Amino acid sequence: MIELNGLTKKFSNGKGIFDVTFSIPKGEVFGFLGPNGAGKSTTIRHLMGFIKPSKGKATIDGMDTWKDAAKIQEKIGYLPGEISFLDGMNGMAFLNLVGGMRGMKQTSYRDELIHRLQFDVKTPIRKMSKGMKQKVGIVAAFMHEPEVIILDEPTSGLDPLMQRIFIEIVMEQKEKGTTFLMSSHSFSEIERTCDRAAIIKDGKIVVVENIHDLQQKQRRLFDVTFASEEEAKRIKQSPLDVVSTTDNRAEIAVQGDYNQFIRALGDYQVRNIDIHEQNLEEVFLNYYNKEADPS
Amino acid sequence: MNMTLYAKMLKVHAKSISSYAIGSALYLLLIIGIYPSIADAPGLNDLMESMPESFLAAFGMEGGFQHVSDFIAGEYYGLLYVVILSIFCLMTASQLMARHIDRGSMAYILATPNSRKKIAITQAIVLITGLLIIGITTALAGVIGTEVLIEDKPFEAMTFLNVNLVGILLFYVISGYSFLFSSLLNDERQALGLSGLLTIVFYGMDLIGKMSDKFDWMVHLSLFSTFRPVEIARGTVDVWPMITFLFLLGTVLYGVAILVFSKRDLPL
Repeated sequence: MIELNGLTKKFSNGKGIFDVTFSIPKGEVFGFLGPNGAGKSTTIRHLMGFIKPSKGKATIDGMDTWKDAAKIQEKIGYLPGEISFLDGMNGMAFLNLVGGMRGMKQTSYRDELIHRLQFDVKTPIRKMSKGMKQKVGIVAAFMHEPEVIILDEPTSGLDPLMQRIFIEIVMEQKEKGTTFLMSSHSFSEIERTCDRAAIIKDGKIVVVENIHDLQQKQRRLFDVTFASEEEAKRIKQSPLDVVSTTDNRAEIAVQGDYNQFIRALGDYQVRNIDIHEQNLEEVFLNYYNKEADPS
Repeated sequence: MNMTLYAKMLKVHAKSISSYAIGSALYLLLIIGIYPSIADAPGLNDLMESMPESFLAAFGMEGGFQHVSDFIAGEYYGLLYVVILSIFCLMTASQLMARHIDRGSMAYILATPNSRKKIAITQAIVLITGLLIIGITTALAGVIGTEVLIEDKPFEAMTFLNVNLVGILLFYVISGYSFLFSSLLNDERQALGLSGLLTIVFYGMDLIGKMSDKFDWMVHLSLFSTFRPVEIARGTVDVWPMITFLFLLGTVLYGVAILVFSKRDLPL
C-alpha cells in the first residue's frame, strides 16, 4: 500500500533523509521509530506531498506522493506531529471545515469518535489543552474512515485512559483492513499496536523488523532493591548484566531473556523492582552503537 | 475553488473586512460632510494658491477644488484610502497563506483531496472578495453621501466611479504582490514585512518624485503613479491604459503566487 523507494531529501544544512526504503502492505500497522530530529516527520511530509524528494520516490496505492498529492488525499487520514488548527473557530467548526473540504457526507463515525474520546467540540480551539487538540486531530484523521492513516506521534498529550481508547480505535480500523503508519520516539508507544517497525537514525533506516523480534532486542533497565547491601554486591557475580550498584540497589540490564533474570533473582531477597524509563537510544543500544559514525 | 474553505475563510475574515469597509465609508462621508463649509469659505482657493506648488502637487491638490469629486479625491483617495486599503491587503494576504504555513495549519488544509493550486486560488479569491467589498462599499458611500449631504454642487458620478475603479485595481496589484510574498515565504512576519516595505518604498518614491523636480524620474518607477485620484476625478486623464495595466499586472502576480505555492516545498 505504501512504498518508499530510495527516498532522499537533502536540506541545505546537510541534514535530511537518505535512501529511505521500506514498504507497508495493506492492512498492516507499521511503526516508525526514531529520536527527535532523526527524520520521521520529514519522511511523513514526503508521504503527504508537502515536499518534493531530491531523489527516489514514494507511492501510496501506486500513486506518486508528490505528483498525485491531491488525489492520494482521498485515501488518507493524517495527524500532524505539531497540532496547529486554524484560528477563530471551535472544534466542531474545524471538523466541519475539514469534512466539507473532503466532501464528506457521513458523520456518524465522526460523532462516535467524538463520543468515545470524550471532549467538548464546542470549545474554541485557542482554549483547548494539548490533549484536547490531539483528540480533535485524531477525529480529523479517522472520521472519513480512510484506507491509509498516517499518524505523527499520535499519543503525545493523551492520558493513559485515552491512549487505551486510541489503541482500541486503531485496532478496530485495522480489522477493517486499514493500513497504518505511526511514528513515535518511544518503543512502548507502538509495541502494543504495530506489526512491524522501522528504526531511523540520522535520516537513515537502521532496521525494519517485526515487533516481536524488536521486543526481543530491546534492552531494559531494572532497578532492583535487595534486602541487604551484600546481596547487591553478590549479584555482580551472577551472569546478569549488572550496570551499577549503589547501597542495596542494583541496576540490571535485560535483553530478551527475562527468564534468566527471574531465575537469578529467585535466590535473593528482593524488596522492590522498578522499571527504568528509557529513551529509544538506550532501548536499542545495539542499533544505535552499531551504526554509529566512525567519527 | 473549494466552496467550504472559501465560506469558512470569508467568515474568519468577515470582522476585519466589515470594519475596514465601514471605517472607509464613514471617513469618506465625514470628508463629504465638511465639503460645504470648505467650499463656501472665501479665500480657501487663494490660500491654496499661496502654498508651494510642489507641496500641493504631492498631495494632488494643485489648482484648488472646483467640484465635490475633486475635493474628496484629493482629501480622501489621495491618502487615507491608500492607507486603509494597504493595511487591509498586507495584513489579510499574510494571514491567508504565510500564517497557515508558519503555524502548520496549512497541513490540515492540504490533507484534503484538494490540489494546492485549488487551495491557493480559493485563498486568493477570499482576498479579492474582501478588497471588492471594501472598495465597493466606499464607492457607494461616496455616491449616496454626495447625493444626500450636498445640495446643488456639481458631482461627477462617472469620474468618481473611475477613481474607485482605478483605486480598486491598484490594490488588486498591491494585494497581488502581498499574496505572492505570502505564498513564497514560510514566515508570516517576513511576508508582511516585505510587502509592507515594498508598498512604503513605492509610496515614498511617488511622494518624493512629485515634490522634487530632481527626483521626478522616481514617480515613473512607483506603482502609485498609476493612481492620480484628482486628475481622474477631473477627467483630465485617460483611465483605460491604467486599468488595463493594473489588471494585467495584478493577474500575473496572483498567477505567479498560485504557481509558486503549488510547486514549492512546505515546512509543514
